[in-house]
Amino acid sequence: MFRSQQKTRLALALCISAAVAACAAPPPAAAPASQPAAPAPTKPFVISAIPDQDPEKLNRLYGKLAEYLKAELGVEVVYKPVTDYTAVVNAFKTGDVDMAWFGGLTGVQARLQVDGAQAIIQRDIDEKFRSVFIANVATGIQPFEDISGLMGLKGRTFTFGSESSTSGRLMPQFFMRQAGLSLSDLKGEPGFSGSHDKTIKLVEAGSYDAGALNAQVWEARVKSGEVDTSKVIVIWRTPPYYDYHWIVRPDVEQNFGAGFIGRVKQAFLALDQANPTHKEILDLFGAQKFIETKNENYVDIEAIGREIGKIK
Amino acid sequence: MSASSATRHRPALPLSLRSFFNGARLVVLVTLLAIAWATTQVGLLRGNLINGGGWALVQQFFAAALRPELSADFLRLTLESTLVTFAYAICGLALSLVIGLAGGLLSSEVWWLSHRRTSGSKLGAPWLAVRGGLAVPRAIHEVIWGLFLVKILGLDPLVAILALGIPFGAITAKVFSEILDETPRDALRGLLNGGVPAGQALLYGLLPRAFPNLLSYSFYRLECAIRSATVLGVIGAGGLGYQVLLSLQSLRYGEMWTLIAALIALSGATDWLSARVRQVLGAPTRLEVNLAPGCDAQAAALARATPSSRTLLGLLVVGAALVPLSLLYIRPDFGRLFSPRTQMLFGQMVREMFPPDLSAENMASLLQLSLQTLAMSIFAIAVAGAFGIVLAQPAARRAMGARWPYWLARGSLLFLRAIPAPVWALLFLFVMFPGPLPGALAIAVHNLGILGRLIAEAVENVDQRPMRVLRHGGTPPAHAFLYSTLPMTIPQSLAYIFYRWEVCARETVIVGFVGAGGLGRLLTEQLSSFDYPGLLSTLIALFVLTFVVDVLSAAARRPIR
Repeated sequence: MFRSQQKTRLALALCISAAVAACAAPPPAAAPASQPAAPAPTKPFVISAIPDQDPEKLNRLYGKLAEYLKAELGVEVVYKPVTDYTAVVNAFKTGDVDMAWFGGLTGVQARLQVDGAQAIIQRDIDEKFRSVFIANVATGIQPFEDISGLMGLKGRTFTFGSESSTSGRLMPQFFMRQAGLSLSDLKGEPGFSGSHDKTIKLVEAGSYDAGALNAQVWEARVKSGEVDTSKVIVIWRTPPYYDYHWIVRPDVEQNFGAGFIGRVKQAFLALDQANPTHKEILDLFGAQKFIETKNENYVDIEAIGREIGKIK
Repeated sequence: MSASSATRHRPALPLSLRSFFNGARLVVLVTLLAIAWATTQVGLLRGNLINGGGWALVQQFFAAALRPELSADFLRLTLESTLVTFAYAICGLALSLVIGLAGGLLSSEVWWLSHRRTSGSKLGAPWLAVRGGLAVPRAIHEVIWGLFLVKILGLDPLVAILALGIPFGAITAKVFSEILDETPRDALRGLLNGGVPAGQALLYGLLPRAFPNLLSYSFYRLECAIRSATVLGVIGAGGLGYQVLLSLQSLRYGEMWTLIAALIALSGATDWLSARVRQVLGAPTRLEVNLAPGCDAQAAALARATPSSRTLLGLLVVGAALVPLSLLYIRPDFGRLFSPRTQMLFGQMVREMFPPDLSAENMASLLQLSLQTLAMSIFAIAVAGAFGIVLAQPAARRAMGARWPYWLARGSLLFLRAIPAPVWALLFLFVMFPGPLPGALAIAVHNLGILGRLIAEAVENVDQRPMRVLRHGGTPPAHAFLYSTLPMTIPQSLAYIFYRWEVCARETVIVGFVGAGGLGRLLTEQLSSFDYPGLLSTLIALFVLTFVVDVLSAAARRPIR
């Protein structure tokens, strides 16, 4: 009896050491498994984008674009979906993402964190981009022409898009401030829906009286019949400002060869409405064509970002 | 202080309602005042709370429960996501057990005493250093670990494993050290006196006796790990939490219900497995948070524990096999830990963080938000505790009576805890304005699911004899319950509630992440503004807050013990 108990104890002690060994062992064991995936010369060109729309729309859009870029550039191109705006800036900073589609504000944030990063390409619509303020019809809020009409949102519930969105938060908040409307004039705290699509859905359902979003997303959803315009209407379009653009990391030329950034620009500039494959991509982006851009175009956005406290 | 005089006068009798109220009147009074204060702080008495426009969405959400998304593609995605969440939980748990075992040994009294061969109570500086060192990672929520690690390590599954493993390891170390210190030392002492070196004496004399309890607690941690892996998914690590968030963001409720079903299945299966294992190990209580050292219940639990070595070996083999399988499934890149890029980014972050933002303006807003966060945690735990005690009564297994209330209560509790707190917060935000209240309610609802079951176990384990005596004497069942079972379970229930309060305080951060009030919301704004000095000062405020709550919780539990 005593002996068998001792045996049990011994077995237990061995189990513990086995467990410790088992837990401690995996790190070195797993390392070789992941190594073949990332040999240096064939590293793919990783692109990402701020998740401003429905995830499955983004997957379709950037999936198509990745295919196109792969054919044009002759390197493997991978689209990496990310959950929120801040995460894209992070991934760009750490170098997990080589090139990303940013909004005005996130673009400035990204360039401030990566020395030498360049804004290279934007859509034709992005140099004169607008936000729309929308309202639920049942609220009786009427469309208006002058910015002062924003004061009519006093005492109403209101939602922005993502916290870091240029067209869904930064510029709307800037214009509200210009009109003299403070956030505390709204009923309750303003919501942050997370994306432009969700802002439409929340205002359409009456969850919020009014909201603000990217004008291009609004127009695309109205065109495809996804918005019930008997329930939600545009009350005001903002003045134009610079918004979305592609930013590329400075080290891509080391990884993919000199002149790579120029080739990426060419690939975008070559997109042509007359070509059916190109047209599909341009339509998904809501653009007629892509044009060049430069860092200096976003000086105003940076100033507004600092004013509102989104850039330190 | 009146608290210390209360301890001195405490009668050495078994627990009863009378002794409880005699010893803890102060605690009760302070608690009630705190709840009243918290209720006003979270804004329950203010106007503009309910956003009536959102009810249509809530209706749509519940209506969708009848038609979940069942296409083959989506079911495959759901299965894959479930496996990812499970694999994260397993890997994170494995890491936390390694840390827990090492940290637990080094922070236990018995380790240092057997190495010094002194019987005095002087444990010295190394013991204190280990204890103090473990307090820091414990105070920081997994989600915050994740958000910081992703900035250093980049997008990799490794982030989720470390974010889960590090704080869990520190928590496990604390409990392991307590288990080791409370394990009877007669065998150990014998070996030590016989001249066996300390290391071997611990290995043969102490660890085997503590083993069933260590293993039992490890299985309890598995339940926590599943919940935590889900929450980490919500912030972007992938798996079920991530998919739930995506479906919610696109307002695809049918998909959400499929995913919720998967969450319930995963959570329910883990809870069941963990309960079975602990039954076999003879330690049926999930966690014994409030036992005096050398307490009878602990000794009794140990005495009951007669699992065969084959059972234990089997459990270990299965557990150990799951770790490499999970690693193969999620493929973390361990190379990143030591890469130059990681060092560079880490250095850069540290440089940007210092000095923390200690401006008067920031300190004032931190103080105000800390109080709001504290109020959220108190309100949340008060709601969770009150409903938890009520729901726990039908949820406790009983020999007599109808079965349906039992299943209904168990099912509701499982549903409540299977859905992660940030997702609850997003649902509450449909019909409430952003602010502390929806966040506090989300934490309350999720923790109600956990607390209800903990209390139900306390009810199941209560001594049935007083109840039987009353019943045989002709007392109606309701009265007998009111005068025997209920008062006897209240001390243990309150201990759980105070213990869970610490968890609630930490969790306020993760509902802030979806825009629901407190320090968490500030942290989110600072993260998205890349305001590192501000982040560091918010983190310090969170750490202080957690520490204060831990101290208060321990002080409140002492007179109940």
